[in-house]
Amino acid sequence: MTQAPPAIRRVAILGGNRIPFARSNTVYANASNHDMMTATLQGLVDRFNLHGERLGEVVGGAVMKHARDFNLIRESVLSTTLAPETPAFDIQQACGTGLEAAMLVANKIALGHIECGIAGGVDTTSDAPMGLNEALRKILLQVSRAKTSVQRLAALSQFRPQMLVKPALPRNGEPRTGYAMGEHCELMAQEWDIAREDQDALALQSHQNLARAFKDGFFTDLMTPYKGVTQDNNLRADLSLEKLRSLRPCFDKKVRPEQGTLTPGNSTPLTDGASAVLLASEAWAAAHQLPVLAYLTFSEVAAVDFFDKKEGLLMAPAYAVPRMLARAQLSLQDFDFYEIHEAFAAQVLCTLKSWEDPIFCLNKLGLAQPLGAIDKSKLNVNGSSLAAGHPFAATGGRIVATLAKMLAQKGSGRGLISICAAGGQGVVAILER
Amino acid sequence: MAVLQASRKRPATVESLEPVVYVRPAVTLDALSMAAYTQVCAGTPDQGVPLLYPQMLTFPLAMAYFASSYCPWPAMGTVHLANHVRQHTPIHAGDVLRVEMQTGQLLAHDKGQVFNLEFRVLKDDQLVWEATQTLLRLGVKNPVGPDYASALNNDHPLSLQSSFVADGGIGRRYGRISGDLNPIHLSALSARIFGFRRAIAHGMWTQARALSAMLPRHAIAQAQVHVEFKTPLFLPARPTLWTTRAIEGDLSHNALFEARNAKGDKPHLRASLSYNLA
Repeated sequence: MTQAPPAIRRVAILGGNRIPFARSNTVYANASNHDMMTATLQGLVDRFNLHGERLGEVVGGAVMKHARDFNLIRESVLSTTLAPETPAFDIQQACGTGLEAAMLVANKIALGHIECGIAGGVDTTSDAPMGLNEALRKILLQVSRAKTSVQRLAALSQFRPQMLVKPALPRNGEPRTGYAMGEHCELMAQEWDIAREDQDALALQSHQNLARAFKDGFFTDLMTPYKGVTQDNNLRADLSLEKLRSLRPCFDKKVRPEQGTLTPGNSTPLTDGASAVLLASEAWAAAHQLPVLAYLTFSEVAAVDFFDKKEGLLMAPAYAVPRMLARAQLSLQDFDFYEIHEAFAAQVLCTLKSWEDPIFCLNKLGLAQPLGAIDKSKLNVNGSSLAAGHPFAATGGRIVATLAKMLAQKGSGRGLISICAAGGQGVVAILER
Repeated sequence: MAVLQASRKRPATVESLEPVVYVRPAVTLDALSMAAYTQVCAGTPDQGVPLLYPQMLTFPLAMAYFASSYCPWPAMGTVHLANHVRQHTPIHAGDVLRVEMQTGQLLAHDKGQVFNLEFRVLKDDQLVWEATQTLLRLGVKNPVGPDYASALNNDHPLSLQSSFVADGGIGRRYGRISGDLNPIHLSALSARIFGFRRAIAHGMWTQARALSAMLPRHAIAQAQVHVEFKTPLFLPARPTLWTTRAIEGDLSHNALFEARNAKGDKPHLRASLSYNLA
């Protein structure tokens, strides 16, 4: 056998960068995934003076990907001032992409495969990939495969004019059920009896916390402006409960007609943006004289059967967190901060309620005692997705960088990250200092 | 016809209403009639016998009373001010029910005399459903009785839950199944004769339509709903339903709701609802 592998090392988070997030079809309507990811990575490179550095690896992805986004992260790295000898690859796990990318980079650092890396993600729903009408696509492929004019003509004769006006659009909904994510969450809100008022209150809190964080300059060293934007443009600093109450439920028609609770105010909007996080071994950080903000110590993933067993589509983190807590030998209350991605206010509240429910904890999680309640004053204290918006693959990076800085500001402590994802999956992690 | 002839009576002050009881000793709950009612009120069959449906059975009794000499005032021009329904146990199609109406309390109102009609529905001598219909006879000077007081305030903030359609013909369709063919509900032309610029919806329809969206899509056991009618709902319209469940109440599920205009700033009715699941 060759030399024994080195001991597992702590993984340090040194910082992050993101561009302000924008509601789809607003200021970033014409920005491509490549452009946004490049701008974000370059901002990180500038902040940490990594020009010409060969990093261990850059990992990231986009959920809404064009065919031209082949090698998206590698192409973005090549467009920055990082050494072109920096390897990169793409991953995709819906909204879990960003945190999963961080886990992959962290694992390589921990095992000694690389010394440092960047984990990131980008998404745009404005610049959506549209395909040719499926029937037309098959005809064109037949034409290109044809060897004789007769064969080509035979293929082309199947063309019908309507194929020109019916492109293949990205589907808004779970492939298996045909329901949109919001409709799945409306079903969850019904199952867990989550009141409209509680959802609106959580949404308001997210906006108020994010507004305060911007006002306090919290994002100054976590964000670089892009296309003239300096602040997440979904943020409504003047949002009121009265305004939230006046919004009409938008996911009720198919699943809960006339009895819905999810509105555009307590659901995240479609958003464009990108984020990236710099992770490294302590040795690399010390050699570059970069302070460590926090350490990524634990992570876990889970998936639920939302199709046959009809578990809530967004309930996977409810399963992932207790598995991780058991490994880490921690209780749910042993945290100073909770960063729970807000796909919908109802989804956050369902997750919290499930952890307090003895029957769910016993039957679904196999726990004799419920996990219990969290201190809500520690939840998303600098705002989260409902206010900032949620470019799918960029949220993981946003949350990791935000939490790492919060722990650094506090000086010590422990934070829990929980992110749900389409396809019934969830990724969770613990950051410590 | 008798009701129209009784319009010859004039609004007058009375000391009290003659205590009379009108009875329909055996009424069978007809599934077809209930289905027609459910359809007009946008309910679903899994909600069972609609909460307000038994009040349909009392309508002939109320009309007989208005036509009689026991009632000092005509039916025409009486405003339905409020309604309080209590369901004690669920009932089912095919049940044979005894339906009773008796005169109730008099209350004084700025605009005239308020009087209650008390309805009771019994099955095998057991009270299964009861209601108090609060009516206002306009124009009566010096009304008698304790002051009428609204039981519902608008202190609780409500959230927009849904909107529904009140089309131009809903007054005719609900009039046919309820028997309440008051011309003010039937068409703009007939409504204008009685001072309304367009036909207005029956308050009991608006309430039933709102309840279809308020009640769960399965049977309930005990329930009570108290409604106060506010501004007229001129047809056609797209009213909005505003609700909250963040309130205390007598039963396991409690809610407040208002059916408001399309803009959401003027209530057509305000109500409180409580129910236990079956």
